[in-house]
Amino acid sequence: MAAGELEGGKSLNGLLNALAQDTFHGHPGITEELLRSQLYPEVPPEEFRPFLAKMRGILKSIASADMDFNQLEAFLTAQTKKQGGITSDQAAVISKFWKSHKTKIRESLMNQSRWNSGLRGLSWRVDGKSQSRHSAQIHTPVAIIELELGKYGQESEFLCLEFDEVKVNQILKTLSEVEESISTLISQPN
Amino acid sequence: MEASSEPLLDAKSEVTNQLVDFQWKLGMAVSSDTCRSLKYPYVAVMLKVADHSGQVKTKCFEMTIPQFQPLLLATSSLLSASNFYRQFKEIAAVIETV
Repeated sequence: MAAGELEGGKSLNGLLNALAQDTFHGHPGITEELLRSQLYPEVPPEEFRPFLAKMRGILKSIASADMDFNQLEAFLTAQTKKQGGITSDQAAVISKFWKSHKTKIRESLMNQSRWNSGLRGLSWRVDGKSQSRHSAQIHTPVAIIELELGKYGQESEFLCLEFDEVKVNQILKTLSEVEESISTLISQPN
Repeated sequence: MEASSEPLLDAKSEVTNQLVDFQWKLGMAVSSDTCRSLKYPYVAVMLKVADHSGQVKTKCFEMTIPQFQPLLLATSSLLSASNFYRQFKEIAAVIETV
């Protein structure tokens, strides 16, 4: 196997990007042949396939364990020492890739593991309900919240809710209770 | 996720619903088949909403903690805006009688 042809930081970085798009970010459809011809044109397909599988496996292991930088270095060092493992140049490229993409990949993994709808966005406004300019009646505000909900990989659904002030107060109280729970959870050592 | 601090002009949904019930829980995702080390807290919400005909539907969704904060902020802003609106209208009504 011509290890020299399989090195080259730019190509490997491009490969890792494509793998991340396919595996984590939900953008499949980049074929093996396309990757090979674009990034490693001199490598024959029968050599490229195991190489691709190896890189995919390494990336998946790192993401699955949500490795911190110490774990990452230890893991990659072990890979360089293995029979049929990776070179130290490749390890350096992978390390750099994980450090800059870790947050985004983790976010994708979180989205993938949520099987309920997620909250994609929200907007609000206040409308006025009034009878006439000359009415002595106090004008009542109506609060409107629009929630954008959606399951992973599916179109958004919009839910429009209407509240009077009393209701808004109640909800605010409930949300404050949620926030208190969150604070308690975060302040506990795990 | 976007949360506009300025009121929206145009709701995308034609129908508004009344909120009948709001239940919540705070959970922690630990592990999954694609990720052995998930470790993130999330807020799960179950809403019961009634449309104009009185029909009640259940809507469930989840938020991460960074997504929850804008919801809290928006509700708080909504209350301030409601207060402001009411006070403004009261003042306007008083001025008219003078």
